[in-house]
Amino acid sequence: MELTASQNDALTELINIGYARAAGALSELTGHRITLDVPKVAIHPLDEITILLRGVVQGEVASVNQVFSGPVAGNALLLLDHRAALLLNQLLTDDRAVSRGLDGSVREVITEVGNILLNACLGVFGNILQVQVSFSVPRMTVDSVEGVLNSITVRDQELRYALMIHTRFHVRASDVSGYLVIILGVTSLDRLLYEVKRWEERQLA
Amino acid sequence: MTDEPREPDIASAVPRTVLEEHQAAMLSWMQEIAPYGILTTDNELKVQSWNEWLETYSGLAAPMVKGRALLDLFPDIRERKLDEHFRRALAGEVIVLSATFHSYLLPLPSPVREPGVTHMQQTVRIAPLSLHGRVRGTITIIEDVTQRQVQAAALARQHQRDQLLSSSLVHLLRTRDPEGLIRELFPKVAEHLNLDTFLNYLVEPDGKFMRLHAAAGISEEERQQLGMVPLTDTSLSGKAATEQRPIIVNHLQSTGEPQFAIHRVLGIRAAACHPLMVSDRLIGTLTFASHHRDAFTAEEIEIMATISHYVAVALDRAITDTVLRRVQLQLADHARDLENKVHERTAKLQDTIVQLESFSYTVAHDLRAPIRALKSYAQLLLEETTPDFPETWLQYLNRIKRAAFRLDAITRDLLQFSTISRQDIQLSTVDLHEVIQDIQLLQPVLNEEALAIHHPLHSVLGHRTLLQHCLSNLLDNAVKFVKPNNRPHIVIRSEVVEGHATPAGKAAPSINPVVGMTISAHPAPADDRRVRIWVEDNGIGIAPEWHDKIFGIFERLNSPEKYEGTGIGLAIVARAMQRMGGSCGVISTVGQGSRFWLELPVGQSG
Repeated sequence: MELTASQNDALTELINIGYARAAGALSELTGHRITLDVPKVAIHPLDEITILLRGVVQGEVASVNQVFSGPVAGNALLLLDHRAALLLNQLLTDDRAVSRGLDGSVREVITEVGNILLNACLGVFGNILQVQVSFSVPRMTVDSVEGVLNSITVRDQELRYALMIHTRFHVRASDVSGYLVIILGVTSLDRLLYEVKRWEERQLA
Repeated sequence: MTDEPREPDIASAVPRTVLEEHQAAMLSWMQEIAPYGILTTDNELKVQSWNEWLETYSGLAAPMVKGRALLDLFPDIRERKLDEHFRRALAGEVIVLSATFHSYLLPLPSPVREPGVTHMQQTVRIAPLSLHGRVRGTITIIEDVTQRQVQAAALARQHQRDQLLSSSLVHLLRTRDPEGLIRELFPKVAEHLNLDTFLNYLVEPDGKFMRLHAAAGISEEERQQLGMVPLTDTSLSGKAATEQRPIIVNHLQSTGEPQFAIHRVLGIRAAACHPLMVSDRLIGTLTFASHHRDAFTAEEIEIMATISHYVAVALDRAITDTVLRRVQLQLADHARDLENKVHERTAKLQDTIVQLESFSYTVAHDLRAPIRALKSYAQLLLEETTPDFPETWLQYLNRIKRAAFRLDAITRDLLQFSTISRQDIQLSTVDLHEVIQDIQLLQPVLNEEALAIHHPLHSVLGHRTLLQHCLSNLLDNAVKFVKPNNRPHIVIRSEVVEGHATPAGKAAPSINPVVGMTISAHPAPADDRRVRIWVEDNGIGIAPEWHDKIFGIFERLNSPEKYEGTGIGLAIVARAMQRMGGSCGVISTVGQGSRFWLELPVGQSG
């Protein structure tokens, strides 16, 4: 399944609105000006997403996973490779000593950043699309791409599609790349696209 | 636990079924025994529940907080703009607050005594509490992560310390400059340990004083003042050096000890002086000090000790290197002087040799005329004697004649030796066979019976006249030095040898080339093959101890009475061979004949 140009534009705009809020929240939190690139959005069948991600994220990934439910339900993930997670932590916390591993405080920082970003995106679905979305508590794991995605799909066989959003943080003259993956079932995806269309129509009206 | 969003129902105070009753009991227990702070609020953020953990750590009992607005109880939440997160939870979001960014949500006292940690460090989750699809309030779970944060901070400090030490070590290993060594290192150490002053003393060669080698944080005038300290316990550095242990003085301004008087005057408030030791050898001291801090921590002193140890090793190495370089330079100078002297003396020596040779040539040349006169007049007198001429007089005359003949031979050979040494020679291919034939013509004694030639004889690269002199001399000796009543039997043969391997036995010692003469080879030898010419006789042989000497001038092995000769013949051979770029030698045993050899580059065939 592919998004039409107009669907892609609309989703990009929606998520960009969420990103603006997330960047504002992160800047306020860290005291550094943080910007997020305009997201690149694409929809892929779930079995393709592992291959795609394996090509761009090396080794173990730090993932922040937040389940959401409501008319549009699924699983939202922020994925950062090990190096990016450490770098992001360092940039955000002014941590002069280079952390050697993803220890407790690094995990917490990444969880909070993921929480802000995921809330911003999912909040957009709720607010703009006027659908009620409930969130779970975000969880942080460190695993391979396959491990992360398997743990999600095993729990919910309905999930079929992944909305993949390439995310790039600019912090203190450095860039950190990550991926936001929103995994949805067929029904949820249909509903999402339907709501996006309605939103577009409202915008035009 | 499931990841599905849960909606704990705050209206479950009125359980309707057994399952709900069971869940309510469980929740109640969880709230009380959980190692977390758990609180719930209504939509207006008024506290609805406050668990035992919170009672313990806040000192506020549940009845005191229930029903009161959270932001009134803890106004600090609003001041730190954390109330926004509760509002977002009320809007349906789940919020994570990390200790790294926010330190804490509720200002609870720190459970650990650690400098700089005033409040319990908390990780917080805030979630909406929903009932029938509507948000009715919030639930907040607080985890105490103080211990973890303190440990993380200690780890970070440890990491920084390791980095400081390893970068110091790298710096000290790289540097070869003892002067700049500590000066360059100090800024790094100062930044990490928050220091402003250091003083580095080195023990003077006399072992009685220490000299200020490097310093920072003091004025030039103060530096002059501190320039020298005696190696006694009358100063901080002297005390550390003599007692060979670190001296740490915290709150220095309030100590009354006389050793630290100068530091008090300088306004130093804390100082740590470490002796610089390599093995058991004291090389100096290193003092770190501060004008604004009153005390150093044990951890800081440990770092200073480690750095002092590094500095001691590096300084020792750098000092040794400097001394080594100085000695090397002196040695190089000395070698250059020696070389110059050798050149100078060689030049003088060569000059003397040239003069001597010129002198011997002149002497030999000028002596020949009077000697000839002597010979001639002695002969004339002998011919003119009458029968009454006394027999004794006749004997005297004969002696004079023989002496004159001998003198003539010596001057002739000397002249030849000088000529060989002085003349410029051109090398060319020489047919050995032709040379032998020429010698045979001049010396009829070398007939076929006496001389056996083993053909073929190889051509050599040499100088025909010189080679003829050489072979003539060797053949002459072979004929001359035979046992009484023996007939000489001589063999001449040649062979081609690879490279410069000399045969067993003795080679003639090489003679320094004389300046002002040139040897040129036409054509140049195509390879390093050489022709060795052997002259083997059945003569009296030569004892081994003479093998070295016989090629020297005037070296005679036998008395002139027994065997005639001037003692110059073999010296002429050796000099001639050297002039041709060849070599010569002998293998001989007394009573078994001698085997002389000459060696020259291979000549061009055809």
